[in-house]
Amino acid sequence: MNNDAGLKQFVAKPARVPPHNDQSLVRRIHSRCFNTPGNSVLTIAVIILAWYIIRSALDWAVFDAMWNADTRRECLNISPNGACWAGVISWFNGLIYGRYPADQQWRVDLGFILAVMWLFPLMSKKIAYRNFILVSWIGLYPFFGAYLFLGGEFGAEVGIIHALFTSLAAGFFILLYANWLLAALNQPDLCERVRPLVAWLFPRGIQVICLLVVWGALSLPVALILSQMALEPVAIERWGGLFLTLIIATFAITMSIPIGVVLALGRQSKLPVIHWMSLLTIELVRAVPLITVLFMAVTLLPIFLPSDMELDKLSQVLFAVCIFSGAYMAENIRGGLQAIPRGQYEAAQSLGLGYSMTMLLIVLPQALRLMIPNIMTSFISILKDTTLVSIIGLFDIMLMARNIANDKDWIGLHTEPIAMISILFFIICYSMSQYSLNLEKRLKADRS
Amino acid sequence: MVQSRNLFSFLNKDSTRANIIQGVALLLVLCLFLYLFSNAAHNLDRLGMMFGFDFLNSTAGFDISWSIIPYNPGMSYWRVFFVGITNTLVLSFVVIFFGTVIGTIVGILRLSHNPLVAQLARCYVEVVRNVPLLIQIIFWFTAVFSALPPPRRGYEFGGLFFLNNRGFYFPAPGTDISPIWFIGALCAFALGGWYLLRILRAVKITQAKMPLSILLGLGGWGVLLVACGGVASRFLSWSVPALDGFNLEGGQYIPAAFGAAFVAMTVYRSAAIAETVRAGMQSIDKGQHEAAATIGFSRYQTLRLVLIPQAVRAIIPPLANSWLVAVKDSSLAVAIGFPEVVSVFMQTSINQTGRAIEIISMVMGFYIVVSLIISYLLNRYNAHVQYKVR
Repeated sequence: MNNDAGLKQFVAKPARVPPHNDQSLVRRIHSRCFNTPGNSVLTIAVIILAWYIIRSALDWAVFDAMWNADTRRECLNISPNGACWAGVISWFNGLIYGRYPADQQWRVDLGFILAVMWLFPLMSKKIAYRNFILVSWIGLYPFFGAYLFLGGEFGAEVGIIHALFTSLAAGFFILLYANWLLAALNQPDLCERVRPLVAWLFPRGIQVICLLVVWGALSLPVALILSQMALEPVAIERWGGLFLTLIIATFAITMSIPIGVVLALGRQSKLPVIHWMSLLTIELVRAVPLITVLFMAVTLLPIFLPSDMELDKLSQVLFAVCIFSGAYMAENIRGGLQAIPRGQYEAAQSLGLGYSMTMLLIVLPQALRLMIPNIMTSFISILKDTTLVSIIGLFDIMLMARNIANDKDWIGLHTEPIAMISILFFIICYSMSQYSLNLEKRLKADRS
Repeated sequence: MVQSRNLFSFLNKDSTRANIIQGVALLLVLCLFLYLFSNAAHNLDRLGMMFGFDFLNSTAGFDISWSIIPYNPGMSYWRVFFVGITNTLVLSFVVIFFGTVIGTIVGILRLSHNPLVAQLARCYVEVVRNVPLLIQIIFWFTAVFSALPPPRRGYEFGGLFFLNNRGFYFPAPGTDISPIWFIGALCAFALGGWYLLRILRAVKITQAKMPLSILLGLGGWGVLLVACGGVASRFLSWSVPALDGFNLEGGQYIPAAFGAAFVAMTVYRSAAIAETVRAGMQSIDKGQHEAAATIGFSRYQTLRLVLIPQAVRAIIPPLANSWLVAVKDSSLAVAIGFPEVVSVFMQTSINQTGRAIEIISMVMGFYIVVSLIISYLLNRYNAHVQYKVR
């Protein structure tokens, strides 16, 4: 054997040329859109389809559209294939405010601006009692909002309790902004300023009493001012449009949180009676469609309530929507509660906290914080579901839009109002869902 | 010995406290119900209304525009209830079927490597999901189906099928033969086909090829089906829709409201299901893609043999939930006057009889039963499909 002599020398083959790694646009497009014949066909088909859709939508909505006209007939005569936005524009006020009197609509605007402004101080990290801002928004703002939207005079249309809470709400709002301003200027807040005075009178419980003193002192002048002026009363029947839709959705989401917390805690309870009652409520409500709950509220509430207690339709609807969204929220909150590690409960127990304190101080604050994206998603779905109230005859944005077709000038104008409110809903819901996704990512990053 | 210090020390025992809390809760709920029902009794008395399910046997006396099962105004409220239920179930079924098919396709397209396709699918899902279903239903009804030309100028397909703003008309076998025969024959053929397929599969597994006899059997079954159909149609009188005045007479039709509700709900459901499918596919570990690529699977093979079988486990529970929502959402068809259970029973029948409590509890009971059935099937399936942990 002459292996030794014939042993081949190992020679490495020359290395293959590295794959093209230049990330030029053309190459990227080629590798992802035209790499196989099938994919090329697909790409071209998608381009043609998208072009066709965009082109015909733009033609209808922009290029052939009529923006100025007095009647639908005029629109049809000039441009039969285009949208007739003139009708929507002339009814736009109705779509937003319903049949709210035109000279009183500033109250609706003011109410919504205040509702949003109420939450602004949450962004500041310096202000004391930040948790209290949300609680006050849920507990106090509705009184103020109801006063603004309904109108009336203190002591006449506005009952004494309602008037009291309205003043307290306004006082709290002023307190909130004064404190925020002082905090921004690095000054001690109002409560701190009255502390020496209060400490002189009450040696104990200073913090709370300071707050109450300042709050009361601010609410009193507001009450005096408000009792001197009378807002023109507006009947609930005249509420409508986007205004009503937002009221129902916001009310439902805020009320659904406490209802949901109670039901979720009940469902997790170890006491069988409480557990089964909560479970039954949640599952029964979730098993039926919202429209049946609405019909139930409208037809059965008058039967099951005492005969001298007459509820208007809006209250019946609010009742139904709150129960409905509460049951769904309960399942969300249960998910949030389960995400809290066991150790938190045990730590609370070892500190000697009882059930209610564990829940209020340790578990719920963490769970609710985790659930903000979920709550926003629920708000979107409630907002979409709110359109159902049009079926039982509340003039929300949906019914207002459908009503345009009954106006004698715009008879048969169906498509444009529906397109308009679809765009409106899309903008609101899409931006909120993107925001909640963003928030979810941030919360996840916070925790890990 | 620990002596009780005072009278109320028994309250410090956990079990006692639990019993007391539960007793109080139960008592409160009972009181609430008692209060509500005493109010109801009083109010019913005052309004001269009655309570009881006896009205179900009395004649309804109103017409229903469209029904799957035969109906005429002389029939009882029981029949009205069943007409509503069948209409709801048929609508939900077709919505669930097509919604699932389209949703699965769109969900997979959303994960496409082709950015244009993925973006188009994403646009579809986002637009559909963020516009309320009711608006979409009314859009399809008023802007599309009601905007079709009237019967006289409607679309016609070979003189047999007609599409116009009243609905879709198609020929139907005459009423001289009982429909039970049709259903029986269909069932027999379906059973035969199913049995053949089973044999086929068993043979394929054991022998890895298909013997000629089986193929002949399958072919024979097909020929028999066509022949029977041909012979039957000779003896049948077909009722073909034809224009008569301003309307079409004869045949059967699907109303425009059904079409609008079907299209809107299918589109809406498919967007929701697409999201479910996408989430399920994305829940699969990246290693599975890489492993499939390593053993040389093409993208299609990866999808069919590796990804989908695993994703199904994650997809089925939310999918069944989505189906449940589809059944509940079908109640929205009431807004365009489609005669489903809420429309015919909760609206018309309550207006006619005033028996609100009975009717509402019946309708809610129907939805609860449907949701219980779907949940039960889902649980059975879940137990069947989960990984067998040893």
